[in-house]
Amino acid sequence: MAGGVLIVAEHLERRIAPSTLELIATARPLSRALGDERNARIAVLGHGVREIASHLAGYTLDVLLLDHPALAEYTGDGYVQALRGTVESTKPRVILVAHTSQGYDFAPALAGTMDLPLVTNCLAVDLEGDRLVATRRLLNEKVQAQVEIRSDRPIVVTMRPGAVKAMGPARGMMTVTEVPVTLDPSSIRETFVRLERPQVQDIDLSTADIIVSAGRGIQKKENLALVEEFAKAIGGVVGASRPLTDMDWLPKTRQVGQSGKTVRPKLYVACGISGAMQHVAGMKDAGLIVAINTDPTAPIFEVAHVGFIADALKLLPATLKELKA
Amino acid sequence: MPLNLVVCLKQIPNPDLQFQIAPDGKDIRRDALNYKLNGADEYALEEAVRLKEKNGGRVVAVTLGPKRTEQMLREALAKGADEAVRIAWDDPAAFDAGKNARLLAAAVRTLPHDLVLTGVQSDDYVNSATGGLVAGILGLAHASVVTRVAVQGSRVEVACELEGGLQRVYTLPLPALLSIQFGANTPRYAPLPAIMKAARQPIKELGPAALGLSNWEAVPLPYAFGIRGLSPPTAKGHAEMIAGSVEEQAKRFAQVLREKGFVRR
Repeated sequence: MAGGVLIVAEHLERRIAPSTLELIATARPLSRALGDERNARIAVLGHGVREIASHLAGYTLDVLLLDHPALAEYTGDGYVQALRGTVESTKPRVILVAHTSQGYDFAPALAGTMDLPLVTNCLAVDLEGDRLVATRRLLNEKVQAQVEIRSDRPIVVTMRPGAVKAMGPARGMMTVTEVPVTLDPSSIRETFVRLERPQVQDIDLSTADIIVSAGRGIQKKENLALVEEFAKAIGGVVGASRPLTDMDWLPKTRQVGQSGKTVRPKLYVACGISGAMQHVAGMKDAGLIVAINTDPTAPIFEVAHVGFIADALKLLPATLKELKA
Repeated sequence: MPLNLVVCLKQIPNPDLQFQIAPDGKDIRRDALNYKLNGADEYALEEAVRLKEKNGGRVVAVTLGPKRTEQMLREALAKGADEAVRIAWDDPAAFDAGKNARLLAAAVRTLPHDLVLTGVQSDDYVNSATGGLVAGILGLAHASVVTRVAVQGSRVEVACELEGGLQRVYTLPLPALLSIQFGANTPRYAPLPAIMKAARQPIKELGPAALGLSNWEAVPLPYAFGIRGLSPPTAKGHAEMIAGSVEEQAKRFAQVLREKGFVRR
């Protein structure tokens, strides 16, 4: 069976990335629009990963297993060369990849190497005849764009994690087909050395019930004292958005977001944080989100339950006074 | 070993601003925008200059865009780039990352390059695509979301950031392309004499002919790209927005904290 949708699964240390299950949910309406809901496949690349392939076969789609010792660790070259054959033989209309660190290493390299069209970081995709229509967000989430791509070549699409609800497993297992991999290990130029884990010598944000986070809106490192005072008054700990840990105002362990900690506290207070997608991905499931920002169009207000259009440097001390009154 | 370093830079509208949609719905209004060097590209530039300082070599800063980008290129010269190149395609929007990457790749091909650096994403269109595309088109080894770079002879060791603070360490042979992550280093400020000097330095312009094209529309693409329309995002927010003076807001904030049981009194 050719055409349809090809999903590239992502996994690390024998765990399937949650974004892969979202890609399955994205693939269904696409393959339906192409005339056959079953015409979608999941490609699992790796070595000794049959268990992952079998698990994914429980999600109503056929699984292609590309097993090769040279795929034991992700490399851009290894993945591109291994998948190339599958793309040529199955001729998918759409190739779905998650917009994760690995996804945006792999997807553009595949598109560049195979001369394929590419559209990335999509919130939604749709097929209308020969056109793929993608919904994207630009300029710090302040502008929405609909982009269309027309091509007779497979279109590579990366989907923003969290944009669609993940698919749950269905009844019945589909098949796992082992695909022979033609791969010359000496042509893989990236050599994997090791996986590094963050050093934990600080408080663990992911277990905190109350987090008061600071962003660029607090303007100066000295103003962190105010955020700390406020956090202490309500029994919380201080977190931060990426720019602050990049500037070493706070240790890396305090960073909330995609590349830092994912947190689910009962209360999250965002002070002067605009709410870029990388940050929101790490805190959107908090019980109560209070956002303080001077910019009424800041995307943080989209995920907040309570929003204050205010300067956190003024509102925090005023609220402290109010709490002591 | 002295290194030929190429750093790809993008000038973007300051994303902290507010934006309006142009009357035709195909672009933002650009008449009163304040432009700056893309955030991640500042780190890519700094990394390139540090690699030059450590290993010897040259840094060429390349951009794609209208005349206004010269200001950004001069900033790059003042911060340590040796040469600046502008691909003189004047499309103010340049939405199609695939076309941009093909033009950049064509320009990089004309320059000696051991390492090509880009930022991990541009904060205006957030594609995170250009670097990987250029690597694929030019057949370069590549690594993305790089937080650490060390050149060792004819190879480079890099740390690539994953979700949740994990990093994968790789070594790859030169020539290679790296997309540099925010926070990879501490970008420097340009000293005043260097700013003065950069103001007088020439900027090389590449027209379509220099890239082997008859005109800017002649870039061979395996697809047709179009912007169907831009719009303000469909508000899915459900926040209770609290207006008023800071005192009134503070009263309400304290009340919320008490009602929800986060403070006792």
